[in-house]
Amino acid sequence: MSAADELHEFHYRLPQRAAGQRPGSHPGSSLGAGQEFVSHMSLYDRPDPRRLDLRASVRSTTGDWLVRVNRQRVGVTVQLLVDVSASMGFGARRRKIDVAADFVESLARSAFRVGDALGMLAFDQRERADLCVPATLSRGLGSVMADSLRQCTPAPGGIEGLEDALQQLIGREALVFLVSDFHWPLDRLGAALDLLSHAFVVPVIVWDPAETEPPPHDAIAPLRDAESSVRRTLFMRPKLRTQWRDAVAARRAELDAFLSARDLRPFFIHGAFDAEAMSDYFFEATA
Amino acid sequence: MIFGAIDFAQPWVLLLLPLAALPLLRRRRDTLLFPTLDWLPRDRAGRVAGFAWRALAVLALAGIVIALAGPGSPETTVTRTGRGAEIMILMDRSRSMDAKMKPSDWRTIDPHSMLYQVESRGEPKSAVARDLLSKFVEQRPDDRFALMFFSAGPMNVVPFTQHDAVVQAGITAGGLGRGLSDTNVGRALTAAIDTFTERAYTGSRIILLVTDGGAHLDEPTRKRIREGLQANRIALHWLYLRTLNAPELDAEASAPPPAADGDSMEAIEVRNAYYAQESIAEVSLHRFFQSLPVTYRLYQADSPEDLAKAVAEVGRQQNFPLDFEERVPRQDHSRLFFSLAALCCALLLVYRSLLLRSWL
Repeated sequence: MSAADELHEFHYRLPQRAAGQRPGSHPGSSLGAGQEFVSHMSLYDRPDPRRLDLRASVRSTTGDWLVRVNRQRVGVTVQLLVDVSASMGFGARRRKIDVAADFVESLARSAFRVGDALGMLAFDQRERADLCVPATLSRGLGSVMADSLRQCTPAPGGIEGLEDALQQLIGREALVFLVSDFHWPLDRLGAALDLLSHAFVVPVIVWDPAETEPPPHDAIAPLRDAESSVRRTLFMRPKLRTQWRDAVAARRAELDAFLSARDLRPFFIHGAFDAEAMSDYFFEATA
Repeated sequence: MIFGAIDFAQPWVLLLLPLAALPLLRRRRDTLLFPTLDWLPRDRAGRVAGFAWRALAVLALAGIVIALAGPGSPETTVTRTGRGAEIMILMDRSRSMDAKMKPSDWRTIDPHSMLYQVESRGEPKSAVARDLLSKFVEQRPDDRFALMFFSAGPMNVVPFTQHDAVVQAGITAGGLGRGLSDTNVGRALTAAIDTFTERAYTGSRIILLVTDGGAHLDEPTRKRIREGLQANRIALHWLYLRTLNAPELDAEASAPPPAADGDSMEAIEVRNAYYAQESIAEVSLHRFFQSLPVTYRLYQADSPEDLAKAVAEVGRQQNFPLDFEERVPRQDHSRLFFSLAALCCALLLVYRSLLLRSWL
C-alpha cells in the first residue's frame, strides 16, 4: 500500500473537548467562530457586531446589545507513538512495522485534511531520536514518517522504551496513537499509560496473522523470541494449535479488560490496516 | 594407537573430532523469529525434538570421524579350552582308495559272485571315508583337526584349526579327480609327526591314518617314526579300509614274534609262517605299529558300516580337555560407526522433512 492512490484516509474526532486556540475540527472549549451556541454577551464585553442578536437584545431587560457567543472547533496535536522494537519486525508476508507505516501514512493524510498537527515518537529500548518528528502541519510529512519507519532496523526493546518516549508527552493535551503489538507486562504498561491522562489515547494493536494463527500443518517449529532471543521448539499438532489459539484469545481478553479499566478501547490491526474500521472506531467513540 | 581395547588405523583423523561440536553452535538461521514466546504453550515433545536433532547431528559427525579413523579391536590371542583332542587326519589319496568297498550285506552274498557284487554295488573307499570323516569332524566341534593327504609324498592341506568349515572344505577337496599313483606311508607319517613337533602339548594327540594299504618301512624310517611318536606323545589310530582279497589283520597277524627257537622242523615252520606273513605289507605295518611304545589302535573296516563304527570308536576314545591359544585377527569396527552415522543422517532427514521453515 505504498502507492498514494491506494491511500485511504479515515475520519476521526476527539470525543472530548480540547483546549486549543487553533481552529480545527474537534470540539473545543475556547470561544470563537463555531456553530455551537454558548450564551449571549454584552457587545461591550465582546465587540463583534457581526454576531449581534437583535431579537435577544430587544428581549433583554438590561437594554444591552447582546452578541451571540459560539464555541470554536479546534485543531489538536496528533502524536504517534510507534514501537519499533524487534517484535515489530516480525511478519509472515509484511512486517508489522510496514503495516504500522501504512497506518501512519493514512493518519498523516487524515490529519492534514482536518488541520491537525502530527508528530511522531518512536522507541525500542529507549526513544529513537532518529525517528522523532516534531508536531507540524506539513502535508508531505506522512510519507517521510512512513518511509523512515519502513527503513528502520528494529532492535530489541521493551516497556522501558515506551516509558522513555512518554516523558515528552506528559501533561500535553493530544490525540495519541500508541502503535505497538503490546507484548509488554501489563503492570508497567498501566503505570506508563497513567502518564498520558491528559491525552486521548488510542491503543493500536498490530498483530500478524502468523502470530495469532498457528501453522495449519503438523511440523516441528524451532522458534526464537525476537526480543530476548530465547529459543523454544514446538512440535505443532492439533493439541498445541488449540493451546496456541486459546493463549491468543486469553491475551486479547486480558488486554481488553486491562484497557477498558482505563477507559481505553484497543484498535486491532490484523495483517493490514483498514481505514474504514478506524473511522468506525471513532464514530463509536464519539457517539 | 591403542585406547583400551580399541585401536585406530588412522588416529590423526580423530583431530577432526571437535567438528562434531558444530551442531551445538546456536545459529540464528536454524530458528524462526517469533514476536513473543510468552503466549505460546510449553511443549515437551518440541523440546525433545530440539534436543534430539542436535544430538543426532553430533552423533552423525562423530560417527563419521571415528569411522574414518578406522577403529578396530587389535589382534589378540585367546586361550580356549576345548574338550577333545588334536587329531591329525592322515588320509591316503592313492588310487587304490578309489576301489569299491564291500556292500553292507556282503556276508549274505555268494563268495563266488562277491567280486562282481563289489564292483557293481560297492562305494569307493575314499568317498565313504571322506563322508564319515566329514561327519566325524562335524560331531566333534571341540577337537582341533589337521588334514594331510598323502600318496607318494605328504600334502599338508589344513594345519591345526578349530574352524570346522576349513577342515570340511579340505575333506571335500580330497574328492577331486582320481587318486594318485603311489602310497608312501613312511614319509607321510614322518611329516605328520613333524607337524606336532613345534606345538605345545595341550591335550591328547592322535594321528588318524586312513589308508587301505600297508608298506614295508626300512629301519631308519621306523626309528624316526618310533622316536617321533614317543617324543610327541602321539596316539596312532589306523582306519584300515580292507579291500576285497586284501589281508585280514586278525589275531594271527597281530601275534607277537614266535618264541620258537632251534632247528626242529616245527620251530622252522612256525618261524617261516610268521615271516611269510611279515612279507605282506599290511601285516608288516601292523606289526610295526604294535611294537610302538605309544597307544595304537587298529580299526579294520570291510564295509561302510564297519568304517562308521570305527570312526565312532575313535570319537569315544578321545574326550579329554584341551587348552590351546587361538589368534584372533584385528577386527575393523568402522562399518559399525558408518552405519550409526548413516542412521543418524536418515533420522536428520526425517527431522528436516518435518521442519517448519517459513511462516507462509
